[in-house]
Amino acid sequence: MNLRIWEGKSVDPSADATPKHSRRSFLRSGAAVASGLAAMAAALSPLRELKDEDGFTVQKFLQKHYKEMTPEEMQQALKRIGDEVEKRYRIRPDVRDIRAKSGVEFVYALNLSRCIGCRKCVHACVAENNQSRAPQIEYIRVIEMPRGTLDVEKGDHHYDRPTVPEGNHFYMPVQCHQCANPPCVKVCPVEATWQDADGITVIDYDWCIGCRYCEAACPYWARRFNFAEPQIPADHINPKMGYLSNRPRPKGVVEKCHFCLHRTREGKMPACLEACPTGARKFGNVMDPNSEVSQILKTKRVFVLKEEVGTLPRFFYYFDERYPYTLDPEAEEIARSLGYTNPYTPEVPT
Amino acid sequence: MNSSHDRAAMVIWAIVPAFLGVAAWLFFASPRAEIPRGEVHLVPLADFQPGARRTPLSDATKGIVNGTQRACSECHKLFTPSTADKTNLMQHKEIVLKHGMNTRCFNCHDGANRDKLVLHDGTLVTFAETPRLCSQCHGTVYRDWQRGMHGKTMGSWDASSGNQKRLTCNECHDPHAPAYQLLKPLPGPNTLRMGDQSRSQEPEETHHPLRRWSQPGGKSPEKSNHEDTHKDEHKEESKERGS
Repeated sequence: MNLRIWEGKSVDPSADATPKHSRRSFLRSGAAVASGLAAMAAALSPLRELKDEDGFTVQKFLQKHYKEMTPEEMQQALKRIGDEVEKRYRIRPDVRDIRAKSGVEFVYALNLSRCIGCRKCVHACVAENNQSRAPQIEYIRVIEMPRGTLDVEKGDHHYDRPTVPEGNHFYMPVQCHQCANPPCVKVCPVEATWQDADGITVIDYDWCIGCRYCEAACPYWARRFNFAEPQIPADHINPKMGYLSNRPRPKGVVEKCHFCLHRTREGKMPACLEACPTGARKFGNVMDPNSEVSQILKTKRVFVLKEEVGTLPRFFYYFDERYPYTLDPEAEEIARSLGYTNPYTPEVPT
Repeated sequence: MNSSHDRAAMVIWAIVPAFLGVAAWLFFASPRAEIPRGEVHLVPLADFQPGARRTPLSDATKGIVNGTQRACSECHKLFTPSTADKTNLMQHKEIVLKHGMNTRCFNCHDGANRDKLVLHDGTLVTFAETPRLCSQCHGTVYRDWQRGMHGKTMGSWDASSGNQKRLTCNECHDPHAPAYQLLKPLPGPNTLRMGDQSRSQEPEETHHPLRRWSQPGGKSPEKSNHEDTHKDEHKEESKERGS
């Protein structure tokens, strides 16, 4: 079939007298092109819903990768982020770019004998890191598991008990393990996430394209995706922000625990640790042989989650020699057999 | 020739409504995906305040007596109790003593100097030195505490910074009843990924890898009548919480 939209030369030798573009052909081609453009415009119509708060600016669009920015460009980026936050939340934040210190490798250790599953760490993390309250994003999830097993499939995130700990269960908080061999970093197609010198795997939220490969690659379920524009009440914004850590994230990027790097790179403790009422959480520099985590790795029975996948986590779980007797029905039994009426059973506060 | 020319013209004219149809379809039939945002539930900051769990008696050992601060010795110099047995106390009856076998006041308090604590060998220690006192019985825990493996460290992970503060025994434990009181857990996740999969919702969906399938008390989820009771209970609970 001879489908000629453009009536070019020598279609018909007898048509020399007629002009190349007849009024009719011009009209119908023009109509076809116009309707095609209309279809394209309609296909692009979701862009019309881009709002100011989506933060699409030329400066952001042209911003370089974190590692390629000069100090001046970084200052401009920090100022832009500060302006955006101020515009949205009416708070002037202190946004900084805090780099890793040399001679430091951060390691987390968590004492499963002491964790009581109170979820204070979860909510301290949410408050510290400006996480979206609706839809809810939480970096830490606490799994309640029956005692005598470490089967995550029998675990429960949604336990809702009047009080914790419940005697027949133990509690395992899971967050980003800051792996030394991170699968999430390997799959990132744009190098928006990488492992820093102190072992923290960080994300440049301005570089992330939201493909969520990393989320799928993580065996610990540590990464979270901003499906919607994060909602944070202005009076709950933490104004101390880091470029790679807790500045408000835009919609469509991935985020995760970063060991509170805006705190820890300045020597402070992570927020989850400071909120823990039992001291189950331990954090420190593993390069220092006398640090708490080094001592734990040396002397305690330590394990990592999903060791077999070869991710080499920097997040260790450990046990004490014995459960504290509040969690140990066996100890209660012994106490009872020795004739102590009820010294070990804590009373449930009413 | 002429017929093919006409057909081409017809096709081009047919493209126009096709494009317009596509445009209309794209414009109206592909609404923006609605993300279920949920409601903002804020947990009060006071529920997870960083810091020590409790404020122990300071070294000044001041107690409030009739609205004024008094040192322990100010009262205790006036009289000598006949016994240190907790059961015969006439004062301090509010103290709940649940410290296992340790049921005698003078195991830790000094009988003569009430502003001090006493070790087994008679050495007086201040209230800030409780780790020394506690270590007499809790040796392994004391060893762990010295290395930072037990207890809580505030301030800094860097011991050389000078900001590190390792909390002492009595900043977490009540010396009279050292076992931790049970706590009410803060609300669980209601994230897009994990959802609000509380036990009440869709109990039959047991294949989800991280969903609870063992019920409290080891009941298997197949027993649907148990499921139903749980379901109802939970619904009532959630109603109460909502109100």
